[in-house]
Amino acid sequence: MRMDTVIVGGGLSGLTCGIALAKRGQRVTIVAGGQSTLMFNGGSMELLGNIDGQDVNHPLEAIAALPKNHPYSKIGAQRIADIAVEAKQLLDDASISMDGTADTNHWRVTPMGIAKRAWLTLSENLRIDDMGKLPAKRVALMCIRGYFDQPNGMLAQGLRDMGFDVQTIEFSTDDITALRHSPSEMRATSLAKHLVSNNALQRVADQINALASEADIVLLPSVIGQTDDNDFNTLQRMCNKPLRLVATLPPSVAGMRMQTLLRHYFKMLGGNYLTGDNAIGGKFEGDKLISVSTAKLNDMPLRANNFVLASGSFVSRGLAANYERVFEPVFDLDVEADADRDKWTTFGVLEPQAYFRYGVATDDSLRCLKQGRTITNLHAIGSILSGHDAIKMGDGTGVSMLTALAVARDILSSK
Amino acid sequence: MQRKWEYSSFYATFKTVLMVTTDVYNKEYDVIIIGGGATGAGTARDCALRGLSVLLVERNDYSTGATGRNHGLMHSGARYAVTDGESASECISENMILRRIARHCVEETDGLFITLPEDSLEYQQTFVDACQRAGIRADVIDPEEARRIEPAVNPDLIGAVRVPDASIDPFRLTVANLLDAQLHGANTLNYHEVEGFIINQGRVEGVKLLNKHDSSHVEVRGRVVVNAAGIWGQRIAQQAGVNISMFPARGALLIFGHRVNKMVINRCRKPANADILVPDDTVCVIGTTSDRIPIETVDDMRVTREEVDVLLREGVKIAPSLATTRIIRAYAGVRPLVASDDDPSGRSISRGIVCLDHATRDGLEGLITITGGKMMTYRLMGEIATNAVCAKLGNTAPCVTAVQPLPGSEEGAPSQSDTTKRYTFGQRAAIGRHGSLAARIEKDNDIDNALVCECEGVTVGEIKYAVHQLHVHNLVNLRRRTRVGMGTCQGKLCSCRAASLMGELNHNPKSAQEDLAVFLDERWKGMRPVAWGDTLREAQLTATIYEGLCGLDKAVNLQGKEDVQ
Amino acid sequence: MAESMQLCNLSDNNFEQCTKCSICTTVCPVAAVTTDYPGPKQAGPDGERYRMKDPAYFDKALKLCLNCKRCEVACPSGVHIADIIQRARMKASEGHHASLRDTMLANTDLLGTMANLVAPIANATLGLKPTKLVMDSVMAIDKNRTFPAYSRQKFTTWFKRHAAKDQDAYPNHVSYFHGCYVNYNFPKLGQDLVKVMNAIGYGVYLLDKEQCCGVALIANGLYKQAKRQGRVNVASIRKAVNMDHNTVLTTSSSCTFNLRDEYPAMLDLDNSDIRDGISLATRFIYNLVDEEKVKLVFKQDYKRRLAYHTACHMQRMGWQLYSIELLRMIPGLDLQVLEQECCGISGTYGFKKENYERSQAIGSILFKHIENAHVEAVTTDCETCKWQIEMSTGLPVENPISVLADALDVEATRKANNLTD
Repeated sequence: MRMDTVIVGGGLSGLTCGIALAKRGQRVTIVAGGQSTLMFNGGSMELLGNIDGQDVNHPLEAIAALPKNHPYSKIGAQRIADIAVEAKQLLDDASISMDGTADTNHWRVTPMGIAKRAWLTLSENLRIDDMGKLPAKRVALMCIRGYFDQPNGMLAQGLRDMGFDVQTIEFSTDDITALRHSPSEMRATSLAKHLVSNNALQRVADQINALASEADIVLLPSVIGQTDDNDFNTLQRMCNKPLRLVATLPPSVAGMRMQTLLRHYFKMLGGNYLTGDNAIGGKFEGDKLISVSTAKLNDMPLRANNFVLASGSFVSRGLAANYERVFEPVFDLDVEADADRDKWTTFGVLEPQAYFRYGVATDDSLRCLKQGRTITNLHAIGSILSGHDAIKMGDGTGVSMLTALAVARDILSSK
Repeated sequence: MQRKWEYSSFYATFKTVLMVTTDVYNKEYDVIIIGGGATGAGTARDCALRGLSVLLVERNDYSTGATGRNHGLMHSGARYAVTDGESASECISENMILRRIARHCVEETDGLFITLPEDSLEYQQTFVDACQRAGIRADVIDPEEARRIEPAVNPDLIGAVRVPDASIDPFRLTVANLLDAQLHGANTLNYHEVEGFIINQGRVEGVKLLNKHDSSHVEVRGRVVVNAAGIWGQRIAQQAGVNISMFPARGALLIFGHRVNKMVINRCRKPANADILVPDDTVCVIGTTSDRIPIETVDDMRVTREEVDVLLREGVKIAPSLATTRIIRAYAGVRPLVASDDDPSGRSISRGIVCLDHATRDGLEGLITITGGKMMTYRLMGEIATNAVCAKLGNTAPCVTAVQPLPGSEEGAPSQSDTTKRYTFGQRAAIGRHGSLAARIEKDNDIDNALVCECEGVTVGEIKYAVHQLHVHNLVNLRRRTRVGMGTCQGKLCSCRAASLMGELNHNPKSAQEDLAVFLDERWKGMRPVAWGDTLREAQLTATIYEGLCGLDKAVNLQGKEDVQ
Repeated sequence: MAESMQLCNLSDNNFEQCTKCSICTTVCPVAAVTTDYPGPKQAGPDGERYRMKDPAYFDKALKLCLNCKRCEVACPSGVHIADIIQRARMKASEGHHASLRDTMLANTDLLGTMANLVAPIANATLGLKPTKLVMDSVMAIDKNRTFPAYSRQKFTTWFKRHAAKDQDAYPNHVSYFHGCYVNYNFPKLGQDLVKVMNAIGYGVYLLDKEQCCGVALIANGLYKQAKRQGRVNVASIRKAVNMDHNTVLTTSSSCTFNLRDEYPAMLDLDNSDIRDGISLATRFIYNLVDEEKVKLVFKQDYKRRLAYHTACHMQRMGWQLYSIELLRMIPGLDLQVLEQECCGISGTYGFKKENYERSQAIGSILFKHIENAHVEAVTTDCETCKWQIEMSTGLPVENPISVLADALDVEATRKANNLTD
């Protein structure tokens, strides 16, 4: 089967790249080994949140200070500014409405009530642009009885520390109460599946209207809107106070929606999305990758002019580590990682962990290396890239989207 | 409108046990026991059952020393039969007693002693003879039969002996002893560290304590003090001005993600590194190494790469599939042996029980040290120590700990294996953990039945019970009482849920965040030495959730926090 | 041994690779509609650790699992969640007997044989209200169910009478595993396949002996019978693949999945030497075109708007790409690819009275997508999805092979492939 481009990995970076290519008429197939880490995203994108322990206010300015091997440095600060605008547009086109700019970070509010720097945040999520000027004073924090994936006490305390006047209100409706009959399955996503009908939403709205009359804004856990923002908008219309959502513990409703909408958009553009399949190897000729074999397509490898590796970090199995070494399991590409196992990690769970910065080695155009040689038609994007740290630098989703778009541009201009 | 069921009333059912009333301090006790391991708990139970007024103090949480840091193996005694007949006899006798009195803590797995091609088959005969002398049933079985009854065993074995080994949960065992002591009037305090003794005219009259909850200093008086502090007993004795030379022998172990074996598997040879594989609850454990360490380092229990390598290299000889089984964590403990010679390996030293009356030994009245021994013989150690206490106090009540079942293990207690009853996963798991005490867990509404820890089936009700009745002050305590966070994910979603619940209880959400971070750090301590493969993936996902999504690292600073037990 | 230390984890169905990320719980169609089912994570890897400790931890609610495999497809860690659940059910069912109803539903071929003999009566009777009520109350088959109609003439009978003799003349050959549905309910699909294959120069043979693949038997706990029939099929396929060097084609994604993947995973039947020789017809044809071995010529005036539904087992196999890409070759076809959702029928599951409501609730998301697609018909590779979608949306559902046969200009195609009459 012949494609213009085959992308290994169907998460944020793979889909972003696939959409950018399919939009320009390319025939693209994405091989996705299961759902991605978007499912752990609370509805925000981070471009750059922290350098050397210092919070970053202006990400575009701060990029200049990054080390040479950081993916942003390889793309170049000038291009990043341009691509960041394209990224936001792409999300808009996919019906993912987010607010924010790459010039200045805002704060998102985490499930534990901690403020973290962010680039883009879903429009219906609580977002703070200026800590000195909160979007509201009196906040009603709606807590769903029997729902344990939102640590309400921590969240309320965190909001108070930011200066909000917080009233915690516990509530339920008959159908939500019935969901708790399952000992394990009352999750954000299961609530979101139930809060779709007008009746179910009206019952929630009735509670909010009755109990939160004192508040300027009403906060709800992000348990609404699995497939689009219609359910949220419907609920907002039913409520007489402005509503905002706060991310929950995963699986995340917002993440699931972003994944679904991006996939949907990609398919609409004619892209093929193979879920639950895994790339298992490739055929190389000289400095080119000729085809990729997958576990399911078996004897019919995917051939293409260009290939993109977007298979993620360890958690997504884009990188692998065993007792002896860190490696890239599909093509055995060169990786940048310590050889000594003791250096991968350190005691102290909140300390920076070296393995977060490991990834495949790439040249300045993000093309992969195999035994020291550049593979000219194989690019790497997203979390599998070395030299960044999604946890300590707050650059994970930014690297995913921006490297994806940079590589898409390279591929489109290489013809 | 809605069913009336207020949040506050829900949490009001959490009766906090954090408050220590001054009554506990002001009472004068017959006996004060130092150390909340199995030995201290067993001694407290025995003393209480004989009618003495008892206070037990523990500087950290219960079962944080050697009690909670071993194989969880209920020895038949066979392992010691050749080298130490006396210990072997003690083991088999206690083994049979524990099967009766601690049924909910014991799993009757039986054990194998296997001879591999690299071992001498001659040793097998020596071994069987020694078992017989010690009164341990030891049946030589065909290697073929061994492979049949235990498919995980190294198929190359050339000989096998079946013995009545079993597995035992030391956390549950300790708690059951403490509960029984409390039921008979004893007071117990964790997070109370002994800072010194009240000594008057050559006589110990009580202890000086640091209350670690609020950093206050208190004195409590008792007629006799029992030092049951394990390896830390040397330090305790020093505080009373007497000298005991302990022999700290460190042993590291690895926990695998699921049960590879159904029976305990031992190597039939002279005891050496990593020669026992024990099925414990949902996991299995290989161990141990044995290294003499300086007494100053007994609080550093981080496992090294070298220890991991030794355990793996030797472990796969017992069960080859360990080479391809996920390791979820590594841990280490220190054997509290009393030094008697300078044996560099520490293995020929007797695990024998040592009871010192410091009146006759050192001229200090009112202090008894009970040490040596094993977790396995904790009850006997308690009996010996209590006998010594009673002799001083003129108490003549007989010891009944060998016949009276522990709370949870009474005759007719429900069983997790009972398929005639329809239990939820959480309810069944709770019966497996608490025996008849599971009846104390609320399960009449959906919220109490909701799972907090999905790997190990721990419900909201069980957490309320543990917090309410089992001296839980933080998440690490909660884990020891319930198995929260002990599954393969080591606390992925459950730790936040549990922290949040406990935060509501303490009305201190800030401390909930710190508690959560400390808990995750404690989990990481065990994962880090084996952080490759799926365990590294697991760690990255946990970091993605708690640091990436939640920003916990922005709110909590663990720097300078002591290694909290 | 030291050199192979800890290089990978091996556990039954990869259950140890589970990181407890809980993603599987978001795609389970059953947990979405009932709180009685504990969801794939609890039922699968979580429960398995406890069942290993004590079989008493088996939860009867596991029988609510559809075995749709969507959890496995979503799993980022490669855990065979549904297989773990099926294996646990299998283990727990040892020594138990399936009910008359389950046995009847599971024996799709037996039921088919009887019904064929009296097809008009059977169709009429199965459709009658009193019959439905009896089935509802006595057999616990839901009264709202429309039974698939039975054909008057079996596919095999048609094939022997009208097609068999012509097949030797073609330059290339394939074998065809038609399955129960084609044989008893809908011979036209088999006829369409013969038409398409012949047009591109391939003669079609039937297997020496074909029995029901057993997908329904496995779902209903009749493992022994499934294994017995599986042995017969494996032997026949082995002969076709190894001795006659033919690829064995199928037109049902469920049969294909069962023959290829469930035989070894569920029934311990070794099919490793023939697994690659079993292919869905769309995949086989796509590949021939892709490698430029054959050409397809389509009718000039063909114009339709269809929605493609990826059956759950199709997605588990990862082969929807072939059906979609093959259909996309038809110039006049406006193909809407639907988001993958479960239709809720899952073979015989939805026929059972106790599952009916759940089954329809599960399918409702898909039905809504179909409605929003504004199409004249739906195309899918699975026959039970077809029944469910036809009953629930009123739209006709066709197999991609039938769509292809309909769109194909047979004469022009024969010519393009250098076939003379």
